[in-house]
Amino acid sequence: MSRIKTFVVLLLIAILALSACRPQTPVAPPQTQAPAQTQAPVQTQAPAAPTETPKPKEPIKVGAIFDLTGATADVGTPYSEGVKGFVEWLNKQGGVEGHPIELISADYAYKTDQAEQLYSQFVSEGVVAFMGWGTGDTEALRPRIAEDKIPFMSASYSAALTQIDKAPYNFLIGTTYSDQAIIAIRWAMQDWAAKGHSDKPKVALIHHDSPFGQSPVADAKAFAEANGVAFTSLAMPKGATDYVAELAQIEQFGANYVIVHTVSSPAAVLLKDATNQGMKDKMQFILLNWCADEIFIKLAGPAAEGVVGVIPFTPPTSPVPGHKDADEWLKSQGSSLQEKGLHYIQGWWTMAVMTEGIRRVIKEGKEVTGENIRAALETIQNFDTGGVTAPITFTPTDHGGNKAARLFKVENGQWVQLSDYISAQK
Amino acid sequence: MISGIYYTSYEQDMALRKTPAQRIRLAILILLLLSFPFFASRYYLTLANQIGIAVIGAIGLNILVGYTGQISLGQGAFMAVGAYTAGILTAHYGVPWWASIPVAALFTALVGTFFGLPSLRLKGLYLAIATLAAQVIILWIVTHWKAVTGGVEALVVPTPKLFGVKMNTDFNFYWVIWGTAVLITIMTVNLFRTHYGRAFVAIRDQDIAASVMGIDLFRYKLLAFAISSFVVGLAGALLAHYRTIVNWERFTMDVSVTYLAMIIIGGLGSVTGSYLGAAFMTLLPALITNLGRAMKASFPAIEGLIPFIQLAIFGLVIIIFLIFESEGLNKIWKDIKDYFRLWPFSY
Repeated sequence: MSRIKTFVVLLLIAILALSACRPQTPVAPPQTQAPAQTQAPVQTQAPAAPTETPKPKEPIKVGAIFDLTGATADVGTPYSEGVKGFVEWLNKQGGVEGHPIELISADYAYKTDQAEQLYSQFVSEGVVAFMGWGTGDTEALRPRIAEDKIPFMSASYSAALTQIDKAPYNFLIGTTYSDQAIIAIRWAMQDWAAKGHSDKPKVALIHHDSPFGQSPVADAKAFAEANGVAFTSLAMPKGATDYVAELAQIEQFGANYVIVHTVSSPAAVLLKDATNQGMKDKMQFILLNWCADEIFIKLAGPAAEGVVGVIPFTPPTSPVPGHKDADEWLKSQGSSLQEKGLHYIQGWWTMAVMTEGIRRVIKEGKEVTGENIRAALETIQNFDTGGVTAPITFTPTDHGGNKAARLFKVENGQWVQLSDYISAQK
Repeated sequence: MISGIYYTSYEQDMALRKTPAQRIRLAILILLLLSFPFFASRYYLTLANQIGIAVIGAIGLNILVGYTGQISLGQGAFMAVGAYTAGILTAHYGVPWWASIPVAALFTALVGTFFGLPSLRLKGLYLAIATLAAQVIILWIVTHWKAVTGGVEALVVPTPKLFGVKMNTDFNFYWVIWGTAVLITIMTVNLFRTHYGRAFVAIRDQDIAASVMGIDLFRYKLLAFAISSFVVGLAGALLAHYRTIVNWERFTMDVSVTYLAMIIIGGLGSVTGSYLGAAFMTLLPALITNLGRAMKASFPAIEGLIPFIQLAIFGLVIIIFLIFESEGLNKIWKDIKDYFRLWPFSY
């Protein structure tokens, strides 16, 4: 019966491992734990000189889930490195008003149930804020974070998350997909007029066949129709190896501008097909943020030339002051921002804005709780990200912090700035 | 000294729990289930609730695949039907949450029966592909039928309340989920003592022989689809009210495959196996993640590799288990029981 022995050994290992992890989880809720921890240093410091030796203050716990092995790992990995990099850099600088940030993170492989497990685990470990990642986890956790009062920032920029009554604890750093599409149409109208046309351009929106992809369609359509722009939208079928049929539909519609809202690799296939069909000279392709990145240029090669992208986070190829800290930090680690790309800076500044909220809470002398961080974030006005994004503004009624984005164009295999900030409003 | 279990009366033969040891184990299990929430932290409650929902879903799938032998790849979609029906009823029509759950399960049974129709003509892999169609069609409807499902946006379900108490906390919903799981367990265990259940098993073992014996294949196959989908729909409906939000990404093809893995690893055609498989497939990734976090502290150098090590371990453990005991965890559990019961003369 050696197989049973082996099994029992396996079982024992499992039990040991579980019990080893157990002490990490505080049984007491975080509220009761906080005073206990603040008391401890007071007692030890009292006999010694009370003002001397500025010990690192109590760390502030922030939870984070990343996709490092799942469906979106290609962009999730640099984003996660950006978030982690910012925290390490900040702690080296002395943390937030002397408090180090303790980033509790794990990979969730883009699986909703694992996101939920990690979320409840991190919350019971006392995190006061949470960094998410994709549409699936952000949507699934939305009611829970509202109940637990945990401010949440992720890389999902669906306009649905700006509905304050339905998502009171979600904050968006990136321009929403709807706003990006509107910015694209706005630019198309300007560009069309600049080319000497007196009529309005025709715009097609081709998108990923998912809620992520459909997200901007309704708002883009409403905006286009209100401005007299002919508009059509169509989905890119899942698992397709080419998009010739969809391109034919776009050609038949007579589009002058094609907005592409998908992820990098299908966008690259689409542009290669468009080049082969000779369509790239007839119409201008405009990519939205999840396909307008370095990965797209690498995959599409020469087909990427001349393509325009709506990019809310300035890519490293157009240096701005907000790139400096991240670049220097990466160089001290033997890498560079050029190498990591724009998703790194996206993660870096998303974490930076969350940290700004925490900083304001501490400055006011309040207890660092999710509720206070939310209130502090809502006081952020025109927060300067060093030119990486348009200035960030949150209000108690609007958590869509960023309404503008710039357009970039691929020239010689690099994103080169094409326009100044265009706002979706006005 | 025991060399086997022998019955001297029909009552003994028909009993669900045949030996004192079985009864004691059941009592311990029930005690554990009852006391667990009072000393578990929120994280462990979340895990327990996820396992509970997975148990219900796995039992549902096992009725169809394990007991009746009709392979289904539509599990995720049927869960989606349950979740969306319950969510829509409560969010748009004001149906109380507890009433929406059985209605959603019944509706899922109806949809399941419809997609079970090809089972009359198709067997084995061909049927698997037909149920795959159910997965694709249902999810397509869910993501495109805006007026009803909300399409792009996730469906937000109002917070379930009972006598003014918020039910969707991990602690409170534990009782709902595990209460349902226990009910479903009793139902399923008894189902396979009735002639319906025996007809299902007969169809699985040899459908032509079953038909010669007078079993109406069409009727019983559809019945198996209906009962299975009912239970699966129940799991989906519970999920909707537990998380208070329904989004399509929870019900993809991945989910169908995971549930198949659960019942194969746990043990096909066994309720205990469904429990073991559901617990295994939920706890293993959690365990590996926690090991990874522990490793992160002691081996910072390989931090970047940990997620990949986790993936490799997950795959490896499943392969080892299948080689080790192809009849699933349930067989291993049986072997352990036999080993102790028959000790010291196990041969």
